[in-house]
Amino acid sequence: MVGLGAGMAHAQEKPKGTIPDKPFKIGHMTFFTGAGAVLGEPMYKGNLLAADEINEKGGLLGKRKIEILKADEAAGTDANTKEMRRLKLSEKIDMFMGITSSGNTPALGPVAEELKLLTIFVDGCTDFLFDKAVPNPRYIFRITNIQSADGSTCALGVAMTWPDIKKVAHIHPDYSYGRNCFDHFSIVTKKVLPRAENVSEAWPKLFSTDFTPHITKTLGAKPDLLVTSLWGGDYVAFYKQALQHGLFTKMKVATTLALGSAPQSIGKDHPDGVLSGVHSNYHFTYPGGNRWPLNKTFVEKYHAKFNEYPNFQAEGAYTATYVLKTAVEKANKLMGGWPDDDAIISQIEGMMIPGPGGYVYIRPDNHQGYKDAITGFSKQVAEYPFPILDPTRIITIPIRNITAPPGWPKGEPTSTYTWIDQTWPTVKTA
Amino acid sequence: MDILLIHLFNALLYASVLFLIAGGLSLIYGVMRIVNLAHGNLFALGAFITASAVGQWFAGSTSVWLYLLLPLGALGAAAIGAILEPTLLRPFYRRPEEYQLLVTFGILMILEDVMRFVWGPYPVSATTLFEQMGSMTVGDWIYPRYNLLVIAIGGLAAIFLWAFIYRTNFGILLRATSQDMRRASALGVNVNLVYVEAFTIGCFMAGLGGAIIVPSQSAVLGMGVDALVLSFIVVVVGGLGSLEGALVGAVIVGLLRETAISLFPELELAVLYLIAALVLLVRPAGLFGRAT
Repeated sequence: MVGLGAGMAHAQEKPKGTIPDKPFKIGHMTFFTGAGAVLGEPMYKGNLLAADEINEKGGLLGKRKIEILKADEAAGTDANTKEMRRLKLSEKIDMFMGITSSGNTPALGPVAEELKLLTIFVDGCTDFLFDKAVPNPRYIFRITNIQSADGSTCALGVAMTWPDIKKVAHIHPDYSYGRNCFDHFSIVTKKVLPRAENVSEAWPKLFSTDFTPHITKTLGAKPDLLVTSLWGGDYVAFYKQALQHGLFTKMKVATTLALGSAPQSIGKDHPDGVLSGVHSNYHFTYPGGNRWPLNKTFVEKYHAKFNEYPNFQAEGAYTATYVLKTAVEKANKLMGGWPDDDAIISQIEGMMIPGPGGYVYIRPDNHQGYKDAITGFSKQVAEYPFPILDPTRIITIPIRNITAPPGWPKGEPTSTYTWIDQTWPTVKTA
Repeated sequence: MDILLIHLFNALLYASVLFLIAGGLSLIYGVMRIVNLAHGNLFALGAFITASAVGQWFAGSTSVWLYLLLPLGALGAAAIGAILEPTLLRPFYRRPEEYQLLVTFGILMILEDVMRFVWGPYPVSATTLFEQMGSMTVGDWIYPRYNLLVIAIGGLAAIFLWAFIYRTNFGILLRATSQDMRRASALGVNVNLVYVEAFTIGCFMAGLGGAIIVPSQSAVLGMGVDALVLSFIVVVVGGLGSLEGALVGAVIVGLLRETAISLFPELELAVLYLIAALVLLVRPAGLFGRAT
């Protein structure tokens, strides 16, 4: 296994053959403006931190410094595909990285394939990308967990914690992510909590800030549990309003991304004990202490450089950069010289690499990254001015338990959905 | 019964803020015939200024005097308006409308980047004001008192504005300029002064909307564009250039949204556009619009 970062750095072997010293250009597209910047900024920063670490040691194979070209994802899907072409054809980028929105990966994936542009999407985690848009990827990969893992992780967390839940209310942003969370939460609860029924649904627009009507509606349905996939500024506005309506005292609350988008933007007023999702990927406090040294050094370095704590996007982009580095080094060892894209791709396929959040496995058939899913419970502690995941109650779920395996036929609405529906046993109720 | 009252509060809360934004937009259009696309970001600017005053400069304080910081966002937005009109808008009055749209759209983008530069990409909160007023009980329901303050400020703003326009000398000049700018000018009205004042008042209203709603929400990038789209729906329904229209439009939009969310959740996004389309079909100038 190849070490990551300073924590596990080992003496670099001298690369084989002659390596050009031309910079290695990465086009990094993510949200730098608009409400999506809450996710986009940390993604870019994770890429930047890894690139700086690599460049300090001379660059890729000790020779090629990484140069990052920024592009704003907020320009819109059409403009983004044009920008990807421009980056490849005019700026001659060697690799493309980034993307936050699930609306953009299905549009950019086919373009990257057409351009033969080596790409690691950090997020834009929709199942649709590798189920439908690019079912047989060659040049594109994706590092953070697939979207369906979020709803499933949340539902399993609920089933483990509150098995007596019967009445469930939902508030989800009305776009692909919210729909996907609702679908997968529902299919998993059908199997593991068969007595649970939906009593209320609300579908606010993405990037809304007034949730009073949705809260009124939820309270009126008197549910045992509220499930929500609101994130970023939406979740901040939601929980503050919900607090003043006494919502948290009247029902359990389970979320998929509450502590995931920007850990420091949630305040000291956030209640404890909320099932707090982190996009089923990563929270900087887990694994904590020196239990996983890679995480300790990553968080320290990130905080020292940017004066904030990394989120799952930062961890994803950081790990993606090291996936590249590892693949280049392995390919060089086999063939000597600077490896061509085919050689790099063959090394990324099937790679398993430790990142700050744990092991990531890149499945060779669909080029999707898989790492064990985590979620937990919000808790205010003295060390941080914001809630973290209660270190004594972290829930981790082996990713193979909640995602469709290799060889499973493509399904509707997602392959994972049909796989859960057709293969999971239904829990017997007394 | 209680639940109907809660629904009414929710609708009026939404309508109050919408009225402040759309009223400002309409006032500016009524007097100057400019569709100010930057208007949404003056709303956002008001929110960010008040949020950083309460949540950052005076963080940790729980003094009741913090409520005096509320108007700061409105004053900030007004100050920006007073600078923008004479410097960037005035040179374009004689040009075709497209130029004004391009300029105000440009200002929208610049303000968005300025806010990102100053406040960064993460939400800024001013919750102290929202929390301090606590909640009251309405039957079985718990409701935040602060929301009622927002409704009260929205209502007061509507009354003040009405009195200002229909009961003061300046209001007469404003209406005269709005009806016939050339004749008003010929009769000795300082049109430049009227324009800068109208623009400043419009920006003040947008900033006030942002400032009073931010304690219960939080200031985020992109909130301005969203507000702009919503206020367009309001002025389409009420009629561009009419303050009464903005008020009635905001209340209609607030009530419809509330009804849709509780009865037809899937329609939440569509319902506002549907009503705008319906009004455009039946009364293209809006409910209170003057056909020109």
